[in-house]
Amino acid sequence: MKWLRRRDPRVRDELRYHRDRMIEDYVAEGMDRGEAERRAFLEFGNVAHLEEAVRDARGRWWDDFRLDLRYALRTLRRSPGFSLAAILLLALGIGANAGIFSVINAVMLRPLAVSEPERLILVSRLAPDDRPLAVPFPFFERLRDTLQSVSGITAIGTAQQTVVVEGEDELVDTDHVSGSYFDVLGVRPVAGRLLSPADDVVAPEAPAAVISDGYWQRRFGRDPGAIGKAIQVRDRVFTIVGVTPPAFQSFRPDRTPAVMLPLQLMLRDDERNGLGWNNFVVIARLEPGATVAQVNAEVQTLYGHLVQLQAEREREKDRPAILRQRAAATAAPDGFNPFRYDYGRSLIVLMGSVGLVLLLACVNLAGLLLARAVARQREIAIRLAIGAGRGRLVRQLLTESLVLAAIGGAGGLLIAGRLAARLISVILSGRDVAISVAPDWRVAAFTAAIAVAACLVAGLVPALTAVRSTVSPALKTGSARRSGRLGKALVVAQLAISMVLLVGAALFIATLVKLHAVDRGFDAGGVLVATVRTARPYSAARIPLVKDALLERLKAVPGVQSASAMQVLPVGGGLWARDVQVEGYRFRDDESETVGFNAVAPAYFATLGTPLLAGREFDARDTMASPKVAIVNARFAQYFFGAVPAIGRHIASAGVTYEIVGVASDAKYQGLRDAIIKTMYIPWTQRAGDPQPSAFNYVIRSAAGDPRRFVPDLRRVVNGADPALRLRTARSYDDVIDESIRTERIMATLGGVFGLLALIVAAIGIFGLLAFQVARRTNELGVRIALGAGRASLVGLVLRDVAIMVGGGVAVGSVVAAMTGGIARSLLFDLTPTDPLVFAAAAGALTLTALVAAWLPARRAANIDPLVALRHE
Amino acid sequence: MPTPESPRSDLLQGTLDVLILKVVTLGPIHGYAIAQRLQQISRDVLQVQQGSLYPALHRLEKRGWVRAEWAASETGRDARFYTLTREGRRQLEDQRANWMRLSTAVTAVLNTE
Repeated sequence: MKWLRRRDPRVRDELRYHRDRMIEDYVAEGMDRGEAERRAFLEFGNVAHLEEAVRDARGRWWDDFRLDLRYALRTLRRSPGFSLAAILLLALGIGANAGIFSVINAVMLRPLAVSEPERLILVSRLAPDDRPLAVPFPFFERLRDTLQSVSGITAIGTAQQTVVVEGEDELVDTDHVSGSYFDVLGVRPVAGRLLSPADDVVAPEAPAAVISDGYWQRRFGRDPGAIGKAIQVRDRVFTIVGVTPPAFQSFRPDRTPAVMLPLQLMLRDDERNGLGWNNFVVIARLEPGATVAQVNAEVQTLYGHLVQLQAEREREKDRPAILRQRAAATAAPDGFNPFRYDYGRSLIVLMGSVGLVLLLACVNLAGLLLARAVARQREIAIRLAIGAGRGRLVRQLLTESLVLAAIGGAGGLLIAGRLAARLISVILSGRDVAISVAPDWRVAAFTAAIAVAACLVAGLVPALTAVRSTVSPALKTGSARRSGRLGKALVVAQLAISMVLLVGAALFIATLVKLHAVDRGFDAGGVLVATVRTARPYSAARIPLVKDALLERLKAVPGVQSASAMQVLPVGGGLWARDVQVEGYRFRDDESETVGFNAVAPAYFATLGTPLLAGREFDARDTMASPKVAIVNARFAQYFFGAVPAIGRHIASAGVTYEIVGVASDAKYQGLRDAIIKTMYIPWTQRAGDPQPSAFNYVIRSAAGDPRRFVPDLRRVVNGADPALRLRTARSYDDVIDESIRTERIMATLGGVFGLLALIVAAIGIFGLLAFQVARRTNELGVRIALGAGRASLVGLVLRDVAIMVGGGVAVGSVVAAMTGGIARSLLFDLTPTDPLVFAAAAGALTLTALVAAWLPARRAANIDPLVALRHE
Repeated sequence: MPTPESPRSDLLQGTLDVLILKVVTLGPIHGYAIAQRLQQISRDVLQVQQGSLYPALHRLEKRGWVRAEWAASETGRDARFYTLTREGRRQLEDQRANWMRLSTAVTAVLNTE
């Protein structure tokens, strides 16, 4: 505590010096010492008084604060148990808040590392929930040619593909950017030059590519010689011309592309002209002086024309859907940020939950402080009696909670760092992206603000109650009763907050349980999912051979029961939908012709464990040249054919007619949350244009045991099937499914932790209050026993208190939970936010916890010895 | 907080401040010496009470017009020594000019017949 003293102006020393010099001068003049001292005292007055006057002149705030701080530290050190508990409580509460805020800050608030990000604008189509969607290339051309209120505009397409440098192939993310990209974002190269409009033409003299700083480091060790090297993408060779700076990643925070290529060279012809190929993100820079609203107005007009044009090209019945599409220009300092929409709501719900956790911690702490204030009543009464101001005393008591909050906040920052790092790694799992959650000024300011708020919430009421106690002993009992009531109110508040947190926890855990229990229609256990890539594209003639060779090799791995492949992995998040015409079925005008579609290899249903209800699987007889066949799911057959057998009927899609040869039972397609949809499957050999082997997901069913044991050998097996084949990913199907419900797992885990924390804190609150009350009522309880009250009735006395508090807490908490639950609705599955069972479970857990917490104090009340009790005090 | 920039409402206090600033120009000097010096220079006309001297000194220090430091005094015991800051010097000039103007005007008024 030396630093507290170092800045002390030592007013008293200074004044004493003056007085002593006066005395010495008088003595030097011949006065005797006693007389000199008397003279000096008369002239000088009271040193202590003058010292106060000087301190007033200096401004007292800092001085007083220092004194209070010293006093608070001394008091807290004297009760280390209380201090430790309080600091731990606050550290948990503040840490959880700062942690969730760090993640929100990192994924939603941080702007792109470009110049003046606040002037960036995203032009996008809008989903029904206002989520931005990519737009077609012709729309970008129109925007580029006509928008007035922007100073520059760029379009970007994205891909993940194999690039070859010096004979070594690697799978990387690539951004395909229009020529103005780096200019619009205002990014400067760290080496060489970046792409310019001159590079972004259909037939450039020398195709140019820009690499990221990360790729430069990883692949070239920052060698300046990387510039000028050739890089092959698909069948094209580019020359590396420059490197982007380390701080800059991409136009979207969830991507770290290694290579940036001119868009014109990577555009397919259908994308270049089609209004239905929504593959491009458009970002513009606002002209100085212009507003987002102006850009938006222009965008509305242009997009209106475009959808009109698109609708005219389509069939009558598809027009309303096309015309319903919306577009907008929005301010986008963080670029195109899917995180905001993927995790925004979960993070807000989590922020609310940790806010409640902190509130709970504060109310609990307020209870502890209140008990302490009651214990310190005598000291406070004496201070008031000798003239201390009440305001001054409140400040002193608040300083104590401020110290607690400050230390708790510092500890909280440590907890926050761990929590945020853990959470962001779950959010980013499976993505090659690094997002820093290191605290910046926003996190620091937020943490400081909630620490101060926590100090006030926890400290103000106890401090005010403490100084309300008066000197007159006659009024003392009255104030004790008041603080007793306040203590109960604080416990009820804790129970209510806990109830809200428990309802949340129960909702999210129930959601996860239900998602796991939902009938998927296939058996993921024991299945390994592998994806492959090709070092260089295969010729059309080689594709079927390589695909077959790979599947045969996979089947031949010892321990493999069966293997197959499909283009879209069920519950992998993807959906392939197509319009169909069904023999003998007439669609109504308002009826959708769209069904789920997939291309699968032989033994698909056997490998995934989906039973066939009729007909056969695809097999070797279904080749490119054989008659086109299809398998449909039960929902499909039931919908279109009813009770009539589906086998032998015909379906047409994209100009090809397929004969149905099998009916499979229903299975989930896009995700666990989605309802079963009508689905048709075609053989992977009969898919038009025969896609590369890398377009498929391969599934291997293990005869027994964990399928992940195949992974070590898989690289060799894949490479053995063909030298240009590479294993890309290999995960158990269970892991894939777990990942698909990542948000739900986060919510259930954190919700559960917060719920448990709430139970513990509430239990401590109840226990503390009851133990304190029983101790204080020892006298009364002793008298009751002496007068013949039964032990059971004393336990009943204590438990009645608990029952009233729990009843109040559950009631208030239920109302709050029911009113605020709507915000979590979209995160739930097969549950409403007011599910009665969930509320009952939460209330039950809370009641049980309260009873356990009350048990010890109640037993103490029952075991009071009347003789001892009467001698008490 | 009274400000010396408003001499009308705070003439006396403002006057004490300017006197202290003037004395402090003499270099590092402690409170006791300041009182002595004021008394000497004014030939015992100005008796400064400690009750106003020290609050004034600390107020000036807080405003940044003087700087204070503990150092050994002529008697060997530690005392708090004050020195003028650059800002203090500027203030002194301003207030001295103010005072001169004011006293000239007051004298002129009092001397009219």
